[in-house]
Amino acid sequence: MKKVLGNKKAIALYMVPGLLLYTCFLIVPVIWSFYYTVFDGSPGIKWQFCGLDNYIKLFTDKQFMQALIVNCKYIVIVMTGQILLGLAMALMFHFWLRHCKSLVRTIVFFPVVLPVVAVAQLFTKIYEVQPYYGLLNSVLANIGLEKHVQAWLGQKSTALGSLSAMDIWTSIGFYAIIFYGALLDVSQDVVEAARIDGARSFQLFRYILLPLIRPIMVVCLVFSFTGTVKMFDSALALTGGGPSGATKSLSLYMYSVAFTYSKVGYASIIAIVVFLICVVGSFFIKKLDRDVTC
Amino acid sequence: MNANNHLKIKKKIKRFFITLLILFVVFVDIYPLFWMITASLKQPSEFVTKAAYALNSGFYFQNYIDAWTKGNMSLFFRNSLMNTCVSIVFITMITVTMSFALVKMDWKLRKIADQYIAFGIMVPFTTAMIPLFQIFSKMHLIDTRTCLILIYVSTSVSFSVFLTSGYMRSLSDEILEAAVIDGCGIHGLLFRIVIPLIKNAIITNVVIQFFFKWNDLLAAMTFVSSKRLKTVQTGLLYFTDEFGTKNWGAIFASVSICVIPMLIMYLFLNKRVIEGMTAGATKG
Amino acid sequence: MKKKSVSVLLCISMIAVMLAGCGNSAAAPEAAPAEKTETAVEATADTAEATEETAASAESRTIKILSMWPEDDAATTANGSIITAMCEQYKAEVDPNFTWEFEYVDSDNLKTKVQTLAASDDLPDIFAYDAGTPLVDLIDADLVLDVTKALTDEGVYDKLDNGATTYLAALTGTEDIYDLPLGLNIEGFWYNKALFEQAGIKEAPATWDEMLADADKLLAAGIQPFATGAGDSWPATRLIHAYAIRSMGKDCMQAAADGTEAYNSAGFVEAAQTIQDMNQKGYFGVGATTVDQNTAADMVLAGEAAMIYNGSWYTSALNADTNPAGADGIGFFNIPTVAGGKGAATEYAMNCGTILCMNKSSYDDTMAAFLKYFVSNVGDYSMNNFGALKGYVIENYPADMSNYTKLVAEEMEKVTGSANWFEALMNGELSTIAQENVQSLMNGDMTAQEYCDAMQECYEATR
Repeated sequence: MKKVLGNKKAIALYMVPGLLLYTCFLIVPVIWSFYYTVFDGSPGIKWQFCGLDNYIKLFTDKQFMQALIVNCKYIVIVMTGQILLGLAMALMFHFWLRHCKSLVRTIVFFPVVLPVVAVAQLFTKIYEVQPYYGLLNSVLANIGLEKHVQAWLGQKSTALGSLSAMDIWTSIGFYAIIFYGALLDVSQDVVEAARIDGARSFQLFRYILLPLIRPIMVVCLVFSFTGTVKMFDSALALTGGGPSGATKSLSLYMYSVAFTYSKVGYASIIAIVVFLICVVGSFFIKKLDRDVTC
Repeated sequence: MNANNHLKIKKKIKRFFITLLILFVVFVDIYPLFWMITASLKQPSEFVTKAAYALNSGFYFQNYIDAWTKGNMSLFFRNSLMNTCVSIVFITMITVTMSFALVKMDWKLRKIADQYIAFGIMVPFTTAMIPLFQIFSKMHLIDTRTCLILIYVSTSVSFSVFLTSGYMRSLSDEILEAAVIDGCGIHGLLFRIVIPLIKNAIITNVVIQFFFKWNDLLAAMTFVSSKRLKTVQTGLLYFTDEFGTKNWGAIFASVSICVIPMLIMYLFLNKRVIEGMTAGATKG
Repeated sequence: MKKKSVSVLLCISMIAVMLAGCGNSAAAPEAAPAEKTETAVEATADTAEATEETAASAESRTIKILSMWPEDDAATTANGSIITAMCEQYKAEVDPNFTWEFEYVDSDNLKTKVQTLAASDDLPDIFAYDAGTPLVDLIDADLVLDVTKALTDEGVYDKLDNGATTYLAALTGTEDIYDLPLGLNIEGFWYNKALFEQAGIKEAPATWDEMLADADKLLAAGIQPFATGAGDSWPATRLIHAYAIRSMGKDCMQAAADGTEAYNSAGFVEAAQTIQDMNQKGYFGVGATTVDQNTAADMVLAGEAAMIYNGSWYTSALNADTNPAGADGIGFFNIPTVAGGKGAATEYAMNCGTILCMNKSSYDDTMAAFLKYFVSNVGDYSMNNFGALKGYVIENYPADMSNYTKLVAEEMEKVTGSANWFEALMNGELSTIAQENVQSLMNGDMTAQEYCDAMQECYEATR
């Protein structure tokens, strides 16, 4: 047994191709980007060592600060939407839905698998105002709310909200299904017992269900957090970061710094910042959970 | 008697509102897609004369023909399919062999290797992207399918190994032992015993990787610029240039073309998709 | 036996991936049997490269062309069709062995693509690129051909339109030119004659105030006065530019780029303010900042808006049979003058569109012969087939020029001075700032002063 499973040749054959690809095209580049941060320009064209200039620049760069703020707002809005609405949806299905459970589950999850670009094209049309009213404006105009007809994606005040609405729409099914799964695991006896003890719905939720699904909650928070920090695809496809950077995330800013301004070194720092926010943020969420339980 | 009746009515009313609420939620989820499909069958004049939410008055399939030929959707579709399928073949091979070696085989650096691979789940692709661009450009691989496929394979190693390992771990060692005693070699063990047993895990992984790769935008838009290599996502991103934003019918038709395969696949495999996608979250 | 073959196959195919990764053609034959579907792509790419290399040693090699216009492009500029036609004609008339490879990249990817190729010393023989600052970088890196010198050697330099060469040289700030024009456009306002009549407007406005007065009349008649593709940003900054060159004179952008005039000086603020006011009064319709320029241009043709600021490339849409406004339904007027402004009514905003560059290191006899043919014939060809001026001397004007083509040709005659466009002399960061913020400026999310301050700040930070 041991001899077969300890077959060195086989291990090498099984591990090496994958490890090599993984190392060369994921790990090495990540390490490499740290090295890039001390250079100015882009490799091949005007590439020169610049010490810590890029790091200093980071703290004075207004566009970076704007992108950071936009990104943070987005994280807060979308995370809240995903978690709260997802949980509400799951509770609703669990306690209220009697028929067609699997059908509803299938429908609700469906937007999750759609390509972001397609969804964005669809929502562009929903929000459109010129040359024709899109779905939203057309409905508003016909139920007597003409004064609310507006260019949802063309103004600073509504662009981020519209983007977040789209992202919540696409991802809410994902969280709803995870929470739903967690609720199914909660033993029915516990719920019944609490009911008999006279617990009201909210109390039941607050003191019985919430503590029981806490591990899943933490996982969802981490998932939602790392997903929203990376904010890129949907913003690019829906608004391209506009208007005036109102939806320009860190990743989008990094992309234009690297590929439009050809400042590869500086872009690498922004990429690392995104990475660090991901890691540190998830660490804190997990730690927060531990503190509360102890 | 009366009180009981009263209670019943109250319950019925509550039930009614709950049903309404659930229907509303389902409606919000499904209506934009329904709207998209009806809009893709409208004639150009319908967008001018009628409100956006009106149903299509006929079935105007010309939109689809325009999207497929003029909008180059046939080309994009082929590219996406090619990239996705080829990378999935490799992902599957690598995932199965690696998770087998990491979970069931016996070697010294196993734990370290396991952690090393798991680390990749944390890494956002954006961080690796800039150096990758330089690496591929040195290798003269920018703007080729090969580079996209390499990226797809190497960035999905972590997640799919993680996913498959879970199933691999639940496989009982006795079965393997029995097979070995029967004189099964290591490759035979993997291909004839293990793979059939974790077939479901492999299928789940294939399905969700299909969705991930098919929906990829960032890598495809960064590493491929020629029109002939564009995928559905990158093609769709800029295709209003082709039609102008006025030709709604063709735009909706193109978006539908992009969505419908997902829809069909999802309808057949929805259990696996949901399972696969949520497994990443719940097991993590 | 079976077991072994499985493992061997697995092993080989994995190696094949590795090899594909290295892209090393020397090792390819060994792995060839295993790479069926997966590396077939790679293989074709490799053979393509290989045939090129062998062809290079033969008399006539394959000319590589990188274009941002599709091969059968007939829509906006027709440049893709024109380049292809030139190649086909050259092959038919001059060199039957001539072969070329046409690659299409859309405009959003063009710059990145060229820069990547430049960094890996892999530039195609002929490639489209952005005129102005981006090109200067390539000239500095000694990567592009000195066109003046090459064409003088071939004795065909005089085939280029004089105005175009002066213009291109000024854009790069060099004595010689390093690029070929593929369009020489004048910009200005186009208007739907039927809508003007409907609103009781007799003639095209000559001053900015008249234009705004006309806009009020149109608005009163229930017509959207202007369409603009502010969703694309550049059509909106063009409007600021239009006002600025009339109020501050045609050299204002040059002065700003040189630092002698600040981007937040009173003149620019006034220009920005004017555009903001125009939008606040509803001249551009609701949500102008979400419309793209193609759509806006269509709206004027379809009679959904009365005026649009656009370049003379518009003629290809105007000349099309599908133009709902007909063969004479759209008129043109140059940017109206601003009261007390320095700009003259015969100065035009001009641009040369995206230009063509030649790779310096791969320039040889094959290229020289083709270049000579191209320069000698492209002008007449585009005029006769598309009614478009491309910046070359035209020897034979077609007998049946369309109204719109005539219109542009007539306007061209009047030119006494020219300005570029708003972002022509800006670097990447500055032009991004100018374009990104213009939507907020129009919406009123940003004041004109803030808009201009942001530009000046960026100018100072990145100079």
